[in-house]
Amino acid sequence: MKKLFLAAFVLAATVASAQTVQINGAGATFPNPIYSKWFDEYHKVHPNVEINYQPIGSGGGIRQLSAGTVFFGASDGPMTNEQITGAGFRILHVPTVLGGVVPVYNIPEVSAELRFTGKVLADIFLGKITKWDDAGIRSLNPGVSLPNVDITVVHRSDGSGTSYIWCDYLSKVSPDFKKTVGVATSVNWPTGVGAKGNEGVAGLVRQTPGSIGYVELIYALQNKISYGSVQSSDGEFVRASTETVSNAAAVAAKNMPKDFRVSITNAPGHDVYPISSFTWLLLQESPKDVARSRIMVDFARWAISGGQGFAPQLGYAPLPKEVVALELEALNRVKQ
Amino acid sequence: MTANLRRRKWFSRFFEILCGLAVVIALIPLAMILFYVIKEGAGALNWDFFTKMPKPVGESGGGMANAIVGTLILIGIAALFAVPVGGICGIHLAEYPGTKFSSVVRFAADVLNGVPSIVVGIFAYGILVLPVKRFSAIAGGVALGLLMVPIVVRTTEELIRLVPGGLREGALALGATRSRAVFGVILPAALPGILTGILVALARVAGETAPLLFTAFNNRFWSTSLTQPIASLTVQVFTYAISPYDDWHRQAWAGAFLLVMIILTLSIAARFAVRRLERMNRS
Repeated sequence: MKKLFLAAFVLAATVASAQTVQINGAGATFPNPIYSKWFDEYHKVHPNVEINYQPIGSGGGIRQLSAGTVFFGASDGPMTNEQITGAGFRILHVPTVLGGVVPVYNIPEVSAELRFTGKVLADIFLGKITKWDDAGIRSLNPGVSLPNVDITVVHRSDGSGTSYIWCDYLSKVSPDFKKTVGVATSVNWPTGVGAKGNEGVAGLVRQTPGSIGYVELIYALQNKISYGSVQSSDGEFVRASTETVSNAAAVAAKNMPKDFRVSITNAPGHDVYPISSFTWLLLQESPKDVARSRIMVDFARWAISGGQGFAPQLGYAPLPKEVVALELEALNRVKQ
Repeated sequence: MTANLRRRKWFSRFFEILCGLAVVIALIPLAMILFYVIKEGAGALNWDFFTKMPKPVGESGGGMANAIVGTLILIGIAALFAVPVGGICGIHLAEYPGTKFSSVVRFAADVLNGVPSIVVGIFAYGILVLPVKRFSAIAGGVALGLLMVPIVVRTTEELIRLVPGGLREGALALGATRSRAVFGVILPAALPGILTGILVALARVAGETAPLLFTAFNNRFWSTSLTQPIASLTVQVFTYAISPYDDWHRQAWAGAFLLVMIILTLSIAARFAVRRLERMNRS
């Protein structure tokens, strides 16, 4: 009976696989809300294409792409030169949207929106500032009565592009942070507790009074977690939004490198959110499987043009027009 | 004398109560788990949960239809892999209990039983995922199957031994060869026992998450293909439970409830099979 049952399953499986094309990808959790929306919408228009994206973290995505176990990857930190050499094949970085990483906190006593500078955030994440009523935080937030409560730092435990962006920014504004922690998808944190994925950090901050963490903007919005504004390189306190993140991209769009691997944290200009970043889809430039490659290129073209309409409602900033033009050209390089 | 007797009775009473207390303490976690899972999970179950696919991140609604079918397929593959291997090993151990080979097999089964499931997962990733460069339902099923084998081996062995010796002697006395006696008489008589072993093992692996993370991976879509990643209840519950979304938490509880029900059903079925065997043994 059981065998019969399984035989039926196997039969069903072969029938199903003849009709639909499945493409597997893995990587960043940062763009997962919009990617899952995109793959869902794309599936509605192309019912025979199923793009299965699993948010295992940028580090994991790069690793699995290099091992060849997934067809495409995704990351919020561009791959390093060593990582590209290690993969052994050419990889195209396709910027898809922009996002901002925001400092989220849970202080039940405080309802006002807090202000931070890069220096103060760096000191908190270095374990130098340990109380919420520290003079450094108080002087930025006059009029807010901060409690004498220990700060619980929440950071990522997995290889994370969000960590990369966060550390990239803090390293630019704090030499101390650059020296002790540095910039990578996985770093050695001197203090705090780890959580897996953006969703893990958001969940832990929500459950832990006195905590501070960092997540992509949408995770703060969807979960109604308070997040602070951050001082830009022009000295303004800027709150993350699709507009202020777009402003950061506009600066970068003017001098985009050919391989799209660019950091836009701490960008100059008016009303620019300093912890902004592109997030990239990682495509193989000359894969063996041409049929799947054709679908991925078609998907990427749609995502950076028509798909951009979904970005604002999910808290992401759409790509600048100049960048889209460059990308459409670059996608022609992919073998299909 | 009476004083002594009274003291001994009192002593016996004291330890009886202590034993009873220990049983209650041991049962409290089980009762609490069941109570909590039922309380949170039963209400979260609805028709959508069984029939709908997962929604994009952060959107409410949807269900786990693909994960439910995925779990069934995965434990199906695991059974297909573990039952022949484990069953045959178990029969051998029961028929030739004293040989050196048997003690080696028994030891190997016990060691395998102790290997952490995540290690089995990494092993399956190394031999079934990396070489073919693809996560697949087969890799996940085999990882679960590896965890099943030792349980099937040992329970099959134990339960074949429960078959009355008179049956074997009767068969041999009537002139049957040893293989005829094993396959024609003892095996049919022990079938409920072997089935029990399989059910217990299935119940054990149906709740595994770790060996699936890097073998069966996960799948957002409906997939029954054995060579593609596949969703499973346990991985889905894990993903949803660590998420910050309330609706996903609700669905994680519903998934947990369904898992507990599946495992409870398998365990109860196993108990009935054993009871039948015991009844036969007595008569």
